[in-house]
Amino acid sequence: MEAHISQEQADEYAIGALEPELERIVALHLADCTACRDIVHDSERLALSFSLSVPRRKPPRSLRARVFQSAGIARPSPWRRAWGYSRAAAGLAAVVVAIAAFTGMVSVRSQIDHLREDNRDLQGQVSRALSQEVEIAALTRRLSEAERSAFELDQATSDDRDLLVALLAPTTVVAEVVSVDEKSTSIGRLVWDEDQKRVWFVAASLQQRPAGETYQIWVSTGGRYVSLGTFNSDSQGFARYGARLPQGLKTYESALVTIERYGGAPERSGPSVFVSDLSRFRR
Amino acid sequence: MAAVVIRDPLAFAAIYDRYVALVYSASLRVLADVHEAEDVTQDVFVRLWRRPETFIAERGRFLSWLMSVARNRSVDELRSRGRRHRREALNGDTSDDDPATLVPADTDDPVLAAQLHEAQKLVRAALVGLPADQRRALELAYFGGFTQQEISAALHEPLGTVKTRIRLGMQKLRRALENRV
Repeated sequence: MEAHISQEQADEYAIGALEPELERIVALHLADCTACRDIVHDSERLALSFSLSVPRRKPPRSLRARVFQSAGIARPSPWRRAWGYSRAAAGLAAVVVAIAAFTGMVSVRSQIDHLREDNRDLQGQVSRALSQEVEIAALTRRLSEAERSAFELDQATSDDRDLLVALLAPTTVVAEVVSVDEKSTSIGRLVWDEDQKRVWFVAASLQQRPAGETYQIWVSTGGRYVSLGTFNSDSQGFARYGARLPQGLKTYESALVTIERYGGAPERSGPSVFVSDLSRFRR
Repeated sequence: MAAVVIRDPLAFAAIYDRYVALVYSASLRVLADVHEAEDVTQDVFVRLWRRPETFIAERGRFLSWLMSVARNRSVDELRSRGRRHRREALNGDTSDDDPATLVPADTDDPVLAAQLHEAQKLVRAALVGLPADQRRALELAYFGGFTQQEISAALHEPLGTVKTRIRLGMQKLRRALENRV
């Protein structure tokens, strides 16, 4: 059947007035056509009114037993029916309790979810704070190192400036320092600035002392050695050390650079590296 | 119905008690025989228990489906008797039979009984409002299981006339009951 079913055909089908062959064709069409099925359902609802118009008659009581027996089910006894109602009531109560429990559970669950979410946020904040703290510590450390480097550079620059001023001063004397080891290529100068009351020791190709050792410079006066301080050369073998002249000393006989333990020695005890004659600096 | 689908005897019993009078009455109206009406009613409910999946909720209300099954099963039974017995249907309905078997409106499910009682009044009024020849053609088709050609032959009326009567009767019935039943 290619065309759709008309209202008239639907009505005839619903009340069973169609010829068997046409009825079969319509039934086949309805199996695939939703639109026509809706039309026929409307007609069938109308046809139902014929059944409703029939006076209702009470079937014999024995029919109930026959139906249940034929269906293979035992007829529910009054007790069974009461049990069914009780079961239905219990089921309803269980549903109510379950809904309440579910609602409560959902509420608690929701709170737990919120707490977990808050916890995740806090952990994230703590983690970010720790990361920031670590970054700040690293920055602080780098800043301290930079400050120290800047201070050392500033100190070196200041020392260089003072040394330059001393070298330009007409009263400054530069004394050659002689390496004690003849094979050594180290060279050194002692710059004596009487006006600034300072003395510089400058050296090149001077082996850097290992950890635990240092160079210590001394001046001898009246047969005793007075320490002017300790220093070390850098990795390039360059050393520059400046010190204030000890007050109260009027004559200097010689200057000496020795190798001492780290921090310096109160008395000269280590091997000598450089020596310089200071007798002509006498004032 | 879902409970019947999962084979709940109590649910089935509830459905039986609720609708058995309707099914039995419609079958009796078609078959005009209490024993055959009982057999058909039994068959309808046993089939419902054994194959509840044949009712598809998306395709309409349960009551429409159940009454359609009852009517079709009754008509099949009627047709199986042969023409001789079917001519008995031409003699009219059995609505005036023993009033002792009539179900009072306040029995069974009170709500359903009230609804059915109201619907019955409306439908009867609508049917009574139809011209007699139109009502006769509709009843022969629905309750007698006659096709249009069979009605034409039984009433000695042209087929076109019968078709017109059915068409007009359904139109009037539709207008009378629209949104009311």
